[in-house]
Amino acid sequence: MPKPEILHVGIDLGTSRSAISASNGERFVVDSFVGWPVDMVAKKVLKRNVLIGHDAVANRTMLDLHRPLERGLLKEGSEKDVEAVRELLRHLLGLVGVSTNGKVAPGSVRAVVGVPAAALRTNKQYLRNTMKGIVDSLMIVSEPFAVAYGLDALLHTLIIDIGAGTSDFCVMKGRYPTEEDQRTLTIAGDSIDTHLLQLMEERFPQANVTVFMVRDWKEKNSFVGEPKQRVTVTAPVKGVPTELDITNEIRAACETLLAPTIETMLDLLSRVEPEFQERVRNNIILSGGGGLIRGLPQALEDALKQVGGGRVTYMEDPVFVGSDGGLALANDAPESDWEKLSA
Amino acid sequence: MKAEKIDRVRRRLLAEAVADNLATIQGLPPRALRTQRRLLQTWLRRAPLVLVPLMFVAFMRVEGRGSRVEAIAIETRPPAEASIIESPRSTNSQTLRSNRDTQRAALGALETPLAPVTTAAFPLSVRRVVLDAGHGGSDPGATRLALIEKHVTLDIGDRLRRKLEANGFEVVVTRSEDETVPLRERARLANASRADIFVSIHVNALLKHTAAHGVETYYLGPTNDPALTNLAATENRGSGYSLADMRKLLDGVYADARRDESRELAGAVQKHLHDGLSTAAPGLENWGVKRAPFVVLVATDMPAVLAEVGCISNEREAAMLTRPEYRQRIADALYAGISSYASANDAPQKKGT
Repeated sequence: MPKPEILHVGIDLGTSRSAISASNGERFVVDSFVGWPVDMVAKKVLKRNVLIGHDAVANRTMLDLHRPLERGLLKEGSEKDVEAVRELLRHLLGLVGVSTNGKVAPGSVRAVVGVPAAALRTNKQYLRNTMKGIVDSLMIVSEPFAVAYGLDALLHTLIIDIGAGTSDFCVMKGRYPTEEDQRTLTIAGDSIDTHLLQLMEERFPQANVTVFMVRDWKEKNSFVGEPKQRVTVTAPVKGVPTELDITNEIRAACETLLAPTIETMLDLLSRVEPEFQERVRNNIILSGGGGLIRGLPQALEDALKQVGGGRVTYMEDPVFVGSDGGLALANDAPESDWEKLSA
Repeated sequence: MKAEKIDRVRRRLLAEAVADNLATIQGLPPRALRTQRRLLQTWLRRAPLVLVPLMFVAFMRVEGRGSRVEAIAIETRPPAEASIIESPRSTNSQTLRSNRDTQRAALGALETPLAPVTTAAFPLSVRRVVLDAGHGGSDPGATRLALIEKHVTLDIGDRLRRKLEANGFEVVVTRSEDETVPLRERARLANASRADIFVSIHVNALLKHTAAHGVETYYLGPTNDPALTNLAATENRGSGYSLADMRKLLDGVYADARRDESRELAGAVQKHLHDGLSTAAPGLENWGVKRAPFVVLVATDMPAVLAEVGCISNEREAAMLTRPEYRQRIADALYAGISSYASANDAPQKKGT
């Protein structure tokens, strides 16, 4: 009997988007939304039992929509959210070719999943329990560690991974990061959305705007510092599509990220052994969706001037950097370790 | 970095990541905690080697000085009986008998079921107070527009510190400015200061119940309330301990006298907090004294409470928290609670003097 094909995957299970990179070369990213038709009519129209990702967001009016992750962690206490995250994981694995009747069965999948740096052990246990039966073996690591591993940035490097739910910081010192080496802030993409929505409601009280709309605007136009051009969007005001200039609002919302990010970065740098501080300052890597905020690397470099200057490198492919790191870990882990980590 | 060195570092990191996962599967505490446990276990294993010879020497000294044992026996007997033994100097037989009595009494005490230790047996006054202004630095806590929990707690803590110092208390603060202080560091600071009590100041945020506003005070204890478990998990985020780790840590803590003292302190603080604020904040609800496993309460060695002095999610209360006079009122109420607890602890001592 032929030996079943083993598939290694790295998964970045994100609050807003989840990415998967597989050893068969496939890579996908989906919005972390799962929805079930609210009634028979919706089911007939949608012709599916469950919708995931962009489809779920686009058809949300007909769905019982769930976003099963909060601050980078699985929501606890709701069976529907547990089921949603299991559907999301099955969907991600299905995209890279895993299915019960396909070439790769769930029993042949070895997964590395990234979680926020400050995730507690109970959070990890909960994730492990949730993934039972979906993969064969599972390793859970801190997301910035996965990023560092994938980039070979293992020594004298500071990783800043700004996602939707959390901003994770990790100083790599050539060892598995301890709690002293890592920080997690809950000021991240979602908090920018909330703030932007609030500012929009204050400035344009007649406009009808949802968090999905502001998220979309932010992803296309986010910036800090001086604007290169005015940001205008179209939104219904008293039912009439109207062009709104939201340059100042986008900037104000995005800049809420600056102070805590800079403070945390400088705080972590100050805890590095003095002889290595300069090397770490010049080796700061910005990843995650937050890396797409225009002007952010420059703003961080400006802040570094007060401690002697430094260099912030922005990842060209921030969406997959976490899942690619997870895949690198999965590929490198020896067979004997995977046997111990069965899910 | 050379390729060979990178490979070596990668292998080591991978091995450590696997070890961390195995520890999670086995439900082991974080590495730092396990080291402490190992030290404790090592100490417990080796303690008899030191303690047994010391006890033997002490016993020999007691044997050689019967009169000292007699004196102890006299002190522990009722006055009438003591006066009978007190008059003549001890003979050898009396010494032997009193030794046997003492030993029997000691054995009897061992055979008696253990009763909870009452702190009334230790009439100690409260002199040194640790004030812990919640959050700070990169951790803003709850926010509502420009109002940020870390600023509110620092201001109230500062007002309370001045009031306590003016009334003769020694005060140690875990932070005096807007800085990031990890939870474990706060507990370490409190323990190193050998303080008598620990008071942590926080502001609540109930995002799903914005109409609600009230005050509540926590002391260390288990809870079955999922909302409190979530609250503790949120407040404990970044501590490095999971709730499962905490529960294991707490097994030995829940039953001790510190918990009872913490409950007393929490009761006093909660009463004065509600009484002191309800006149200025009509409708303020008294959510009472509750138990929850917050890290700062677990890791501190002294009676410790965490007071949620307001609700930033309530629009009216958030507006009040922006006013200095209301924050002063909160500080005054906390002072009254601490002072009331301290007075109760001082009472037996004062009676005796």
